[in-house]
Amino acid sequence: MEQFVINMLNGLSYGMVLFLIASGMSIVMGAMNITNLAHGVLYMVGAYVGWTTAVKYGAPFVIGLVAGGLGAGIVGLVIERGFLRHLYKKPNEQVLLTFGFVYILTNLCLWVWGGWPRMPFTAKVLAGSIEIMGKTYPKARLATIIIGFVLAIILWWLQDRTRIGAMVRAGMDNKEMTMGLGINLERVFASVFFVASCIAGVAGVLGAQLLGVYNALGLEILLLALIVIIVGGVGSIQGALLGGLLIGVIDAFGKALFPRLAMFTMYFTMIVVLLLRPSGLLGRKA
Amino acid sequence: MGAIDQEALARPRQEKWISVVAYGIAVIVVGILPAFLSSYIQGVITRFLIFALFSVGYNVVFGYLGLPSLGHAAYFGAGGYVIAVLKMHYDIDLFWVGAPLGILMATFIAAMFGILALRVSGIYFLLVTFALGQLLYSVAWNVKWLNTPGMQGIAGLSLPSFGTGGWTLDPISFYYLVLVITVICIYLIRKIANSPFGHALIGIREGEGRMRTLGYNTWLYKYFAFVISVIFSGVAGVLFGYYNYVISPTHLGVGTSFLPMCMCIIGGTGTLLGPVIGAALIIFVELFASIMTPERWPLTLGGLFVLTIMFAREGVGVYLAKLWNKMSHPYGSIKS
Repeated sequence: MEQFVINMLNGLSYGMVLFLIASGMSIVMGAMNITNLAHGVLYMVGAYVGWTTAVKYGAPFVIGLVAGGLGAGIVGLVIERGFLRHLYKKPNEQVLLTFGFVYILTNLCLWVWGGWPRMPFTAKVLAGSIEIMGKTYPKARLATIIIGFVLAIILWWLQDRTRIGAMVRAGMDNKEMTMGLGINLERVFASVFFVASCIAGVAGVLGAQLLGVYNALGLEILLLALIVIIVGGVGSIQGALLGGLLIGVIDAFGKALFPRLAMFTMYFTMIVVLLLRPSGLLGRKA
Repeated sequence: MGAIDQEALARPRQEKWISVVAYGIAVIVVGILPAFLSSYIQGVITRFLIFALFSVGYNVVFGYLGLPSLGHAAYFGAGGYVIAVLKMHYDIDLFWVGAPLGILMATFIAAMFGILALRVSGIYFLLVTFALGQLLYSVAWNVKWLNTPGMQGIAGLSLPSFGTGGWTLDPISFYYLVLVITVICIYLIRKIANSPFGHALIGIREGEGRMRTLGYNTWLYKYFAFVISVIFSGVAGVLFGYYNYVISPTHLGVGTSFLPMCMCIIGGTGTLLGPVIGAALIIFVELFASIMTPERWPLTLGGLFVLTIMFAREGVGVYLAKLWNKMSHPYGSIKS
């Protein structure tokens, strides 16, 4: 029983990181029709910046989170305003451009931070562990679950209960009509992209506690984000949350129960979802 | 009437003259020149031909059908892995065994993955093919049987033998083998593109609903196009296995999948020879960048992608084709 709870908590904390990685990309895909393959690299940039502020300069963890988020957000904003803005409705070009940025940013990170991988680090506040049902469990993972959950609620509230969320959803449904109503969709899109990149950066700092940071991370994270999006469905916070938690929990139990097949459990989930509901569990029907 | 006829007669002669020169240059550059170059440059040109074949085949799905696949390296690598496994576990390097098995393996995997990937369309097709490609990547990474002890991937491959005792391939005859296979395959793809099947694919790209209304089973067309395209990926993968001597999970992964897509976009999507030009550009930029700044070549390559997209969005190949049109129609009456 306690093993079950531990696995569940492992799955939930990993799933929260997955949710944060995928949510930004999913919203950008759904709202702006932009396929941003550089999303995983933004996560990596956030993780590196967070590592530098929180570990190298010993700043408080919260400042590390903010710095990582802002760092990734600014890089994302530059990509969107400088380049992607000219490529709306051109999916293939977006793919090529953002993958070009995967190469560029990966190499720049290698330049700045060097090739050696950073171990998973824990903030001083979150060091240590607490006892759950007779077993010790690291505080950092519990904090990840809580932070992820809080962010999920804020994002959901932004999406479903605020004016800006309504604008984004309106733009998703009918771009021309929304612009006709006098909404500056360009500015909305730029802020959506900025927020999405910020979330990727925050996810990077949180995820670095579980996964560490290394140079090949960008593509691995991109793959995880895509699987979560395929499972959960594109364009909504709820879809990313469901997909992320599902994949995280399945992965944790897969690792505990059949360690040899653990790599494939998430692919298996993805294939089953594709066969049953190609548009994802909570995706809109095409 | 006389004047028009004369003009019509004059133009083909003009075109013929230029195309004879162009094909002559092409034959000299890829057909004769390599025999006199260093084996390193021969290797680079072989690599170029393999990737040209890979991306022209990829273009069937990407350009003609308009579905962005980001998983073609999985089938490319599968061809290479068949060669590698045959060599490592069974010590078979016979071309007549390896090539058909490699192509069959690629086709078989595509026949399964195609069913999954074609349940979605548009940009989601890209996501699904990407994830399926990474599935093969992680299989190759984790299964011991597919790795030489002590490393990721399989090393120690050799050029194929043909069962003709005593005579073995050297790099230059392998180069000509690749050249012949590539030319035959591109000719076949041209046939396919110009057939009613190829036109149906373009029809599906432009308006799937209309094609369905006209009575086409569009799903089946898409499925066949996908599998056909992968057959050529398999051919290229088999040749690449022989060429590279090492095959590793990277060759199944997204980095490799991305190359044909770039080559198509840079050269000109949906044109027959655009991808060849794109392949030439990328392979040679890769070569120069890796000589000049080995540490920073991804930066150069990424910069190239960004510049192409921002400034030559239609593709360098299309730009060259327009130039070509201008040269072969000096009167300036271009119909495109």
